[in-house]
Amino acid sequence: MKNLLQARGAFLQALFLIVICIAMMIFDHRFQHLEVVRSNISFALAPLRYAVSLPAIAGNWAGEWFTSHKALLEENEALRTEGRILNARLQKLQVLAEENARLRNLLGSAARINDEVIIAELLSVDQNPYRQLIEINKGSDDGVEIGHAIIDDFGVMGQVIHVNPRSATTILISDAEHATPVQFIRSGTRSVAFGRGTTDSLELRYLPATADIMIGDELVTSGLGGRFPPDYPVAEVIEIREDQVRGFVSALAAPRARLDSSRQVLVIQPRQQ
Amino acid sequence: MRYLVIYLSLLLALVLMILPLPEWVEIYRPNWVALVLIYWSMALPKRVGLWFAFLTGIVVDVSQGTLFGQHTLALVVIIFINMNFYQRIRVLTMPQQAIYVFALLLINQVLVAWVEGIMGRPTPILTFFGAPFIGTLIWPWVFVLLRDIRRKAMLR
Repeated sequence: MKNLLQARGAFLQALFLIVICIAMMIFDHRFQHLEVVRSNISFALAPLRYAVSLPAIAGNWAGEWFTSHKALLEENEALRTEGRILNARLQKLQVLAEENARLRNLLGSAARINDEVIIAELLSVDQNPYRQLIEINKGSDDGVEIGHAIIDDFGVMGQVIHVNPRSATTILISDAEHATPVQFIRSGTRSVAFGRGTTDSLELRYLPATADIMIGDELVTSGLGGRFPPDYPVAEVIEIREDQVRGFVSALAAPRARLDSSRQVLVIQPRQQ
Repeated sequence: MRYLVIYLSLLLALVLMILPLPEWVEIYRPNWVALVLIYWSMALPKRVGLWFAFLTGIVVDVSQGTLFGQHTLALVVIIFINMNFYQRIRVLTMPQQAIYVFALLLINQVLVAWVEGIMGRPTPILTFFGAPFIGTLIWPWVFVLLRDIRRKAMLR
């Protein structure tokens, strides 16, 4: 009898906890209230994350230490050349920027200011193989907020979804749950690029069959939706699929950003408008 | 204080869960936390029960960036199953035990994937079996290691 009662007690307890779990999942999925709890526990786990990323840091450090003198000289030379080229381009760019500002003034539209950026480094890549999340080493203490866009030196990478005091979780544009508002540079057509869960392609669904797209077309952020600042490179069209039955065209595009290998990223704080 | 080893072993399991691995190995990463939790709930069922599984699960959910309750639910369920069977499982031979552990890990995996599926992120069925299989291969070592530690710490 006693055993039976005990077994029943354990069963009820398990049932109770399972119901709590389900309630928590629904609550977490629908609302933002648990965010505080998450960021607190996450903060407590921060040393763990650092410990995990130590081997990579040590590896980098050792790699730098053992780089030979000759390689350094070569790299130095290459960087200097690159610097010169970039400088030359920059001069041209400044002229263009001024001209742009003048023209905009003429048109009477808002002047474009440079975006504020924070430089951050990758702490860890998310463990879950079915999601595309990365952890960066800047958080709310550094001014990062939910919704800020992340780019690397080639293009848009994603946006911030959780913020802790000293780190932030960002969702990559290739996550199956992420969609990026984009625009074709060549034709000006607007569309939305959906992630597919792999880092090598995004999907543009349900383009009208008459849409003017070609392989090699460049996609930039359209700035619609207000999350991503406009005109940052996103991807390049690599494949076009026609759906004869439903009269739509869909396309695959390869992200510009090196989603799986960039270590340094920039967090862009959107301009106040 | 004597129970510190339980927490330390779980902490180590957690580190192994978030250690960055190449993408293609990722689906074979065994659920270390589940393995360690199964051992302790088998060895010290009075100490490591449902609530223990619940709190561990919350920490796993945070560290994995999953929904609150996703891994928690799966861990509570397998520990509940284990609470009903541990007396019979303890006396089994190692291969038999491993089959049982495989079943538990698979249930865990399916429950976590199930919630992903409900949220609109279905996972291919074939990828379900890799991680529990590797977990099963690792079980004997986890078992022997933790048993020695438990004896050294004189927990019973």
